[in-house]
Amino acid sequence: MIRSLSIIKKTWFSKNTFGLEFSLPGIKPRPGQFFQVRVNDSMDPFLNRPISIASYSGNRLLLIIKIIGKGTNILSKRREREQVTLFGPYGKGIVPKRQKSILLAGGIGVAPLHFLAQMHYKRKIPFTFLYGAKTYDEIILKASIKHMANRSIFVTEYGSGRRGTVVSAVKGMDLSDYAIVYACGPQAMLIALQQLHLPLPVYAFCEDFLGCGCGLCLGCAIMYNGTYKRICEDGPVFELERIHFEN
Amino acid sequence: MKTGQYLNSKGYILKIKLFGTHLKNRVLLASGVFGFGLKFKRVTNSVGAIFTKGITAQPRKGNPPPRIYETSSGMINWVGLENPGVEYFCTNIIPQLKKLKTRIFVNIAGFTMDEYEHSVERIGDTVDGFELNISCPNVKEGGIAFGQNAKMASMVVARARKKTRLPLIVKLTPNFCDPLVIAKACVEAGADGISLINTVYATAYDIKKRKPLITGGLSGPAIKPFALYCVNRVRNVGVPIIGMGGIVSGQDAYEFLLAGASAVAVGSVVLRDPYAPLRIIKELKKFIYQETKHAR
Repeated sequence: MIRSLSIIKKTWFSKNTFGLEFSLPGIKPRPGQFFQVRVNDSMDPFLNRPISIASYSGNRLLLIIKIIGKGTNILSKRREREQVTLFGPYGKGIVPKRQKSILLAGGIGVAPLHFLAQMHYKRKIPFTFLYGAKTYDEIILKASIKHMANRSIFVTEYGSGRRGTVVSAVKGMDLSDYAIVYACGPQAMLIALQQLHLPLPVYAFCEDFLGCGCGLCLGCAIMYNGTYKRICEDGPVFELERIHFEN
Repeated sequence: MKTGQYLNSKGYILKIKLFGTHLKNRVLLASGVFGFGLKFKRVTNSVGAIFTKGITAQPRKGNPPPRIYETSSGMINWVGLENPGVEYFCTNIIPQLKKLKTRIFVNIAGFTMDEYEHSVERIGDTVDGFELNISCPNVKEGGIAFGQNAKMASMVVARARKKTRLPLIVKLTPNFCDPLVIAKACVEAGADGISLINTVYATAYDIKKRKPLITGGLSGPAIKPFALYCVNRVRNVGVPIIGMGGIVSGQDAYEFLLAGASAVAVGSVVLRDPYAPLRIIKELKKFIYQETKHAR
C-alpha cells in the first residue's frame, strides 16, 4: 500500500533522533511491523528506509528515526506539513502473548518495543521495560515508558545513572517471574543476549539493509532454523535461539 | 527509428508482437526483483510479461547476508540465485503463474550446460518462453562464465534450443566481454531474442573492517547510460532486443526504445516502489503518443 502523508508533528527526542507523526486511520498494525519511507523524490538515495512503528494510537502513527547516514539525514530535514511517501505496513510483526514479559531495548531498538509496550499496556499485560543506551541523552520516550511499564530500568554505558548494558542488567535479574523476553537492538546486543541462554523464550526484533521490504527481492536474509528467511516478510521478529548470525 | 513503428492495425500504441507472442505492452518486469510475480498482482497483470526469478536445476538457499547494499543512485546485490529449484517450481509455482493475466518467461540459470538443458526440458511448454541467464555475477561457477565466452554461450543456446520450441531469449552480461560478439553467437545458435544488461560487477568497502563489505552486481539508475550503450551496440543483431538497466521512468524506457530495444524491462526501481511499472507504462504511452501523433 502506497500512501503520501503529511507530517503533522515533528519532534526531536535527542540531538540525533527525531519522530515524525502522521494521521493514518484504518490500519491495524502489529508490533515489529514497519513502513518503508521514501527519502526524497530523487534517485539518490535510491532505496526507501525501513522504519518501525514506534506508536499507533488514536489513528496517529509515530515513526522514530535515528540519523545514521545520508538517507536519514535528508529525512531529518523534513518539516511539518510536508508530504512523505510511505509503503506498508510491512512485515509480519507479532501478536503479544498474555504473559508477564521483559522488553529489552538497546539504542534506537526502543522504537518498536515502545509500540509493543503500548499494546501490553492497552491489554493490561504486565511487563518490565529494560532500556540501555550509550549516554543518558540518548534515552528517549522515558516518561511514556515509565508511565506504561510496571517496572522500568534505564542503563547507560557512559554517563550518569545506572551503568552497564541491557545484557549485563538482564543477567543480574531474577527472571523466575517472567515468561517471555522481547529484545531489539544492535546485532552485537542480540548476539550477547543469545550467548546468555536465558531460561525463557526470547523474541528478537531484527534489522538489516532492506531492499523492497515486502518479500520481492530476497535481499534481507537471516539464517533461521537452518534456512534463509526474509527479515521483511517472515519477520522481523524471530525466536533468538534459532537465529544464526552470520555477519 | 521509423515513425509509426509503434502503431499496430488497431492503433494500440504499446501492444507488440514479439517472438510470435502478443504482449499487451512493451514494459516488462525484469528477472529477480519481483519474485515469481505472485504478489502485487495489479502490477504483474498490467505489464507485457514477467521474467521470473532465476530457476536452477537444484534448489539454492542463496548467499549469506548482507545481500544488498545501497550505492549512489543504485544498489549492489549479492542474492546468489536463491530459488526452490525446477521441480518445486514446476509442481507448485507454475499452476499459480497460469492464473496471471500476463506472459511468463522463465529465467533459467545453471552451472553446467546439462542443467540449463534439464530445466528447459522439465518446464516444457507450460510457460510462454525462456530467458537463459548466462550472466549472473553472483555465483562462483557457471552462469556468467557462459556469458563471457561466445563459444560457450552458443553451445548453451544450441542445446537449450533443441529442447524447446518456445521463444528463447538470452540474457547477456556487460562484464568483461563484448555483448555484440556474444549476442551474434547466441542468435546464430538459435536465440529468438536478446535481453541486456544484467548487473555490473561492483564492490562496496567496509572501512572499519578494511575489507569488502559486499561484491555483487550493481543495478539502478547508476548503470543506465552503460546499459543504453550496450543496447545500442547490439541493436542490429537481427532479433528483438529487450533493454534494461536502471529504468525508473517512461523517459528512460523511451530512451531504450530509441537505442534499439523492442521492449524494456524494469528492475531495481520496483524495490523503491512496487507500483512503478504502472507509472512507467503510463509515461511511456505519452512519449510514444507524441511521436506517433502525425502518423495517425
